[in-house]
Amino acid sequence: MYRKIMTMAAGALVLGLSTLSAEAAGKNICVSWKTFQEERWKTDEAAIKAVVEGAGNKFFSADAQGSAAKQQADIEGLITQGCNVILVVAFDSDAILPAFQAAADAGVKMISYDVLVEHPDALYVTFDNVGVGRLMAKTMLEKGKQEGDFAFIKGDKGDPNATFLFQGIMEVLKPNMDAGKIKNVCETFTDGWKPDAAQKNMEQCLTSVNNKVDAVISENDGMAGGVVAALEAQGLAGSVPVTGQDGDKAALNRVALGTQLVSVWKDSRVLGKAAAEFANMIADGKAAAELPGVGKFSGGAKGVEVNAVLIPPNPVTKDKLNEVIEAGWVSKDEVCAGVAAGSVPACN
Amino acid sequence: MSMAATDNTQTPAMAQEGAVTRFLRATEIDSRMLGMIGALLVIWIGFDAASAFVRGGEGLLGGSFLTPRNLWILLVQTSSIAVMTTGMVLIIVMRHIDLSVGSILGFTAVCIGTMQVYWLGPLVGVGHPAIWIITLALGLALGAAIGAFHGSLIAYFGIPSFIVTLGGLIVWRGAAWSVIRGETVAPMDKNFKLIGGGISGITPGSIGAIASWILGLVICAAIVAMIYNGRKQRKRFNFALRPMWAEYVLAVAGCIVVLGVTWVVNAYYWPKGVVDRWAQQTGVTVPPEGMNIAFGYSIPVLIALGIGIAMTFLANRTRFGRYIYAIGGNPEAAELAGINTRKITVLVFALMGMLAAVSASISSARLDSATNALGQFDELYVIAAAVIGGTSLAGGLGTIYGAMLGALVMQSLQSGMTLLNFESATKDMVVGCVLVFAVWIDQVYRRRVK
Amino acid sequence: MSKPSHKHPTHVERAGPPLIEMKDISIAFGGIKAVDHASIDLYPGEVVGLLGHNGAGKSTLIKILSGAYRRDHGEIFINGGKVEINNPRDAKALGIETIYQTLALADNVDAAANLYLGRELRTRFGTLDDAAMEAECRKVMGRLNPNFRRFKEPVKELSGGQRQSVAIARAIHFNARILIMDEPTAALGPQETAQVGELIKQLKAEGIGIFLISHDLHDVFDLADRLTVMKNGRVVGTARTSDVDHDEVLGMIIAGKCPPGAVPGPGALQGVAA
Ligand SMILES: Nc1ncnc2c1ncn2[C@@H]1O[C@H](COP(=O)(O)OP(=O)(O)OP(=O)(O)O)[C@@H](O)[C@H]1O
Ligand SMILES: [Mg+2]
Repeated sequence: MYRKIMTMAAGALVLGLSTLSAEAAGKNICVSWKTFQEERWKTDEAAIKAVVEGAGNKFFSADAQGSAAKQQADIEGLITQGCNVILVVAFDSDAILPAFQAAADAGVKMISYDVLVEHPDALYVTFDNVGVGRLMAKTMLEKGKQEGDFAFIKGDKGDPNATFLFQGIMEVLKPNMDAGKIKNVCETFTDGWKPDAAQKNMEQCLTSVNNKVDAVISENDGMAGGVVAALEAQGLAGSVPVTGQDGDKAALNRVALGTQLVSVWKDSRVLGKAAAEFANMIADGKAAAELPGVGKFSGGAKGVEVNAVLIPPNPVTKDKLNEVIEAGWVSKDEVCAGVAAGSVPACN
Repeated sequence: MSMAATDNTQTPAMAQEGAVTRFLRATEIDSRMLGMIGALLVIWIGFDAASAFVRGGEGLLGGSFLTPRNLWILLVQTSSIAVMTTGMVLIIVMRHIDLSVGSILGFTAVCIGTMQVYWLGPLVGVGHPAIWIITLALGLALGAAIGAFHGSLIAYFGIPSFIVTLGGLIVWRGAAWSVIRGETVAPMDKNFKLIGGGISGITPGSIGAIASWILGLVICAAIVAMIYNGRKQRKRFNFALRPMWAEYVLAVAGCIVVLGVTWVVNAYYWPKGVVDRWAQQTGVTVPPEGMNIAFGYSIPVLIALGIGIAMTFLANRTRFGRYIYAIGGNPEAAELAGINTRKITVLVFALMGMLAAVSASISSARLDSATNALGQFDELYVIAAAVIGGTSLAGGLGTIYGAMLGALVMQSLQSGMTLLNFESATKDMVVGCVLVFAVWIDQVYRRRVK
Repeated sequence: MSKPSHKHPTHVERAGPPLIEMKDISIAFGGIKAVDHASIDLYPGEVVGLLGHNGAGKSTLIKILSGAYRRDHGEIFINGGKVEINNPRDAKALGIETIYQTLALADNVDAAANLYLGRELRTRFGTLDDAAMEAECRKVMGRLNPNFRRFKEPVKELSGGQRQSVAIARAIHFNARILIMDEPTAALGPQETAQVGELIKQLKAEGIGIFLISHDLHDVFDLADRLTVMKNGRVVGTARTSDVDHDEVLGMIIAGKCPPGAVPGPGALQGVAA
């Protein structure tokens, strides 16, 4: 499973890294995307490109357009083109293994970016997903409620992430639950992480306990929207803290309005920046195991141990809204729509 | 009516019939519907008793299911699927299927949301009263246009409806994503929000106690008028009449159901938090023991009821409806009778698309946001509701009220199991089994009636 | 040579243009020429019997007239004027009513709904007037099949003969000028068959032209003024029923042999005549 030693450390370190890689000039850093059609990868690319070119290296990329076969050919092409480091967002993490082996044989260094590829020579850079659950629970304890009746709105039962998140949440809440301070009054999976399904589940939960709910742990922002709508209908929105993740614009607006406590935000620019900095360092000859914040990870399907850096996400609460606005993730207008003047510092 | 299969003019074995059969024959009540209502009551009572064991509450049997609050929410939760299933019945009756309704719902919802939040809001000012009217009208038009497009491909290009709408299922889900690129659009317009039945500020999306009682009484009067009018018609043509007692039984039973439901929705009061907010904003002082302000019928439930009545009228009392059933019974015969079956096909799919847009409005208003996942899997529930309600996939057979009752049965099961904190895997398994079981019972029933 | 076996009671006036004239009609399904350059005509107040073995093309020919199929070739005239019949609606608008061999009933609705299918009676609010339709249906069915009572059942629950009565009722109820009957009595009992016979005579007296497809030679000789025989999609010949006898007609049907009393068509066996 996850080795968690390095999570917080990595976050702190990545910010100060860019200066170190200045002498890596003239190397080729390449990326193989699984499908560039999806909006989010454009954000990642911009972040990666900026760091790579900022260090005087050259940036190349290829788009596999959702085909495992094309991605394999892409990587082979990138190897021949003389890439020193290739970042791969794998479309099929098993089918891509031969390409990783070919790269290893050719002496090209590989980074599996966001999607785990279980090749012992590749570095794995991703967000810390169990950490998201821990962060939600931690924020709830620090800024929401420490005790009372808690409802848990989990994601889709078929998605392992829903369970990972819940593990992280429980890890943090367990002491208080064992002490009888926190009571689990409702706990349901939500089909397809659907907000409307979460709303129905929350309505039933409130009915079954006659509105005696003190806090709601929702595993993402979309479902938090449904939860807040259900709370609103009972006049409880705002007085019952609700968690979420993804940094949805609507959720950040709810954070500003006070109906949602926190949205844990995985800023893909942070991930891209970190990965690009590691790529610069590796291109420069640094071994993956010596990178700052690196640890061992063997939580994949095959249990292969790889070097990994797990980047901690950012729990955005009301007092941290200025960070998302300053990062350009959302506009101030979007975050602050309908917010009473003076109630949120970031909106002034 | 042509779809009702009861005739009391030639019954050879009248004397040997049991009391129940005689009752059903005299009142001409569809015994399938009675069966479904019976099943529904069993489910409700079962959940209330079970929840009494688990946690206790103020329900009829000490549980938390048969409480005004839960029943009120149950009706609201059912309304979106119930609206769509009225159209699905007609589609299935015509021997077609529409797998795309959930995706049309998602797509129209994000379009409505986008118009409200990103276009009209900034253009005419957030909260402008024209916003909800314009976006609702455009949303309905969009849904109808998509449906008409599917219908044209089916009717004029001869592509099977299964394929066209399977494509639609994928296409419109993708289109929904493209419109908002995976984001959530929120919040919806404050007037539009009332369509979902929630509370917008201190304005509830329901009509309150007095209006609800008036509505209940009007519906009662309509039932009595219909029974009276039916009798007059039969007299005019010298047809066999129902016995007088049967007429009274129908009128009284109908009114009891309507007024009973009205009583239930009026027994669900504003939650304390809302009352406090209302008092604060209006300057009313709430007495220490609290105030009971009734919700009454909620707007989405009224929409579903209105659409149910309108669709029943359409199916049973208009040429359009008659043609739909005739096409389902024998498409070739309908064509030979001079019916423009292609036009009817396009219209039915357009109607379905528009109903999906109505549901899109209800769902997004209720959630107070639009997401591209809205309505996912709804096609399955809509089809299942129609089938549980007695619609035959072979075509030609099905009723609107049956399908709506089917939707209520399914939502009751889901809500009840959630209330009991069932695992969601168990819920899925139960709903799936009930679907198959209901159809089997239906088959057995139909064979025995013959 | 000619042995008139029947003296027909009515005289048909054939001076003016025919009520219906189908000229040189052809249609093929895939490779099969179901109807091959067939011509046929019908005068007002006349019954023309259409005969032929199974698969001869009788139903297909009249389905072109009723708008169910679109012809590949040929022309149709009504009262001497050329008409276009592209669908059943066109045919009905021209006063052509049809009893199909398959009956073409919507099985899941009742007799009245089938009777009025496509031209329902409506109340002044535009809604279906089911009560009025049922009342009318009771009247028509009373003429055709007095024992019929099952007005509320979907027609799939009726007997074959009852269903056929419904199909006949539908064709005669709307003041047709031209009536096509494709084996209308195939499923009927003797009493009902006789009733349809009476009906045909009555309609004929009203000046309606009738195409009667039947395998029953007695019926045809009894009811028809002329008969046309088809074989393999082609017309063998057309004759007045008074000019031919049973055996000659059988010869036309089975061997395609055209007797002297008949006008030969393109399907007549060559070189065997006279
Ligand atoms: N829709 C169709 N598609 C393909 N072939 C057809 C179609 N309708 C008729 N046929 C073919 O055309 C030929 C003529 O058929 P038709 O039904 O006209 O015969 P018929 O003279 O009415 O026979 P019967 O006495 O059995 O009713 C047959 O060979 C038949 O198989
Ligand atoms: Mg035939």
